[in-house]
Amino acid sequence: MSAFRRFLLKRIAISIGLVLVATSVIFIVLRLLPGSPFTTLFTTGNIGPEQQQEILELYGLTEPLWKQYLLYIKNMLTLQFGYSIQSSSSVWSIIGPKLLNTLILLVPALVTTAIVSSVAGMYAGWNRGSKFEKLSIVVSTFFRSTPIFISGLLFLIIFAYTLNLFPPFGMRSTTAAPTGLADTYLSGDFLHHYILPFSTAVLYYSGDFLLLARNGVVEKKGSEFLQLHRAKGLTEHEQLARAGRNTMLPLLTYFALRLGMIFQGLILLEVVFGWPGIGQELVNAISQQDYPLVQAAVFIMALAVITMNLIADILYAYFDPNVNASGGSV
Amino acid sequence: MSITNFSINETVDRRFDQVKSQFRHLLQDQLAASGLVILAGFFFLGIFGPMLAPNPPFNYQVTNAQGEILRLSPPSTAAPLGTTSFGQDILSQFLVGARPTFIVGLLGGVGTSVIGFLVGLTSGYFGGYVDEALMRFTDLTYSLPLLPMALLILTFVEPNILIITLIIMLFLWKIPARVVRSEVLSVKQRTFVKSARASGASDLRTMFVHVAPNVLSIGVLYTAYGIAWSIAVQASLSTSQSRLVRTSAC
Repeated sequence: MSAFRRFLLKRIAISIGLVLVATSVIFIVLRLLPGSPFTTLFTTGNIGPEQQQEILELYGLTEPLWKQYLLYIKNMLTLQFGYSIQSSSSVWSIIGPKLLNTLILLVPALVTTAIVSSVAGMYAGWNRGSKFEKLSIVVSTFFRSTPIFISGLLFLIIFAYTLNLFPPFGMRSTTAAPTGLADTYLSGDFLHHYILPFSTAVLYYSGDFLLLARNGVVEKKGSEFLQLHRAKGLTEHEQLARAGRNTMLPLLTYFALRLGMIFQGLILLEVVFGWPGIGQELVNAISQQDYPLVQAAVFIMALAVITMNLIADILYAYFDPNVNASGGSV
Repeated sequence: MSITNFSINETVDRRFDQVKSQFRHLLQDQLAASGLVILAGFFFLGIFGPMLAPNPPFNYQVTNAQGEILRLSPPSTAAPLGTTSFGQDILSQFLVGARPTFIVGLLGGVGTSVIGFLVGLTSGYFGGYVDEALMRFTDLTYSLPLLPMALLILTFVEPNILIITLIIMLFLWKIPARVVRSEVLSVKQRTFVKSARASGASDLRTMFVHVAPNVLSIGVLYTAYGIAWSIAVQASLSTSQSRLVRTSAC
């Protein structure tokens, strides 16, 4: 167990290092780029040099760069994201609800597809060469390789504009003004807006899980432990359940990795469906050069990936006895 | 002199025959043949597309017989794929836009897999600290979100084909790098690699002459993937910042 503990400590240390480096890269990119968030404001000419100086001082931009950097690192790591330049409210109060919106759209989609397409994939792998196998692979690969904004637009044209089944845009009707969480996320109006982007995300995610599960079962199919189970007289379904259980590990780690990519993976899905999530907010913030918002959103995206990578690594090392805990996978 | 000439001719002939038989083999497989046709279509559009465009893509407005500008019109003989809200011909835009997509896809795909291949090869072959450093670097590029970072850079730098290709390569090499590395790890253990080392081959020679050819097929596969990804990323960038559509088409 001590080897595992050493592995754990090393991984955690590496992840902390990665967070620091990623945060620094965000700082460098934002500072290297020409112009400042106030360039547009200053070039309008309505602000005198003294006032310009005052604004820069207010935001701490007259300090030496290393001081700015230290302050920035400290603020980021303590999750103090400051105030948005465009709307002069705190960054948290802007991105908090957006993060929730993204999570509410994508976590259920990811869980649904992880369960449904993994089971479908196992079934397809067990019945190799069947029609179901071919069809499921073709369909899921099609949606996996079509860029999400293309399939999204396609669904919009068919289901929203031609058939008028679902609203094409946003999270709720323009007239709706819900108060409280339950009212926002549990109303029929929300569900009506939810189905189309949710289905698009489910179909987009399905390919990887399906193929992973299928390949796992195909690999296991000839193995000795299954022959033993057959000799014991287990039914086909019981055998499949045991083969499936042995393909869970890659699925589990892949799920963790996908969960880490949740904020940055499907930005265009949010843009296409006008879903008020973190991705759309970030795209808007970039076009408005709202630096505090941009750096906070990018930081959260990077943090999510690094954290879930760490968890996937640990899951792998913990569950798979073949993995050499001192040096990662064999 | 004549002998060398002769042998060169013979080699060329032999190679040509090899290519021909490979090609015949390829055509027998239905999937491969249809893939070849699609690929040929893309090459054709990429090379000749702009010359085929019936109208200038941007500074031209399709008009009807009365001289009115057709805005958002459905497909017609004047504009087979319809028109935009400015009355521009979509077919022409499509044909002209094929070339930058073609270039970015090809360069981005090849660049992605070449960088990824080299990083994966080095990382897997040397192991130890080199591996650790390179793999943590790939982790870093995984953590930074592609689309926002690219958009951020492109808001300040005037987008052109070269910059978009560079950004794509900068963000996509990580995927082939990881796959090639894990493949190198298993090839490295094989006896012919060990015997090459034992007979005194240098690290570089072993890497490129003995290990690389055995993982090259994955590199080629990921070049194909890379082309698809590059095109998708470029399209995503254009979608999320529509002004890119215009500038990247010039």
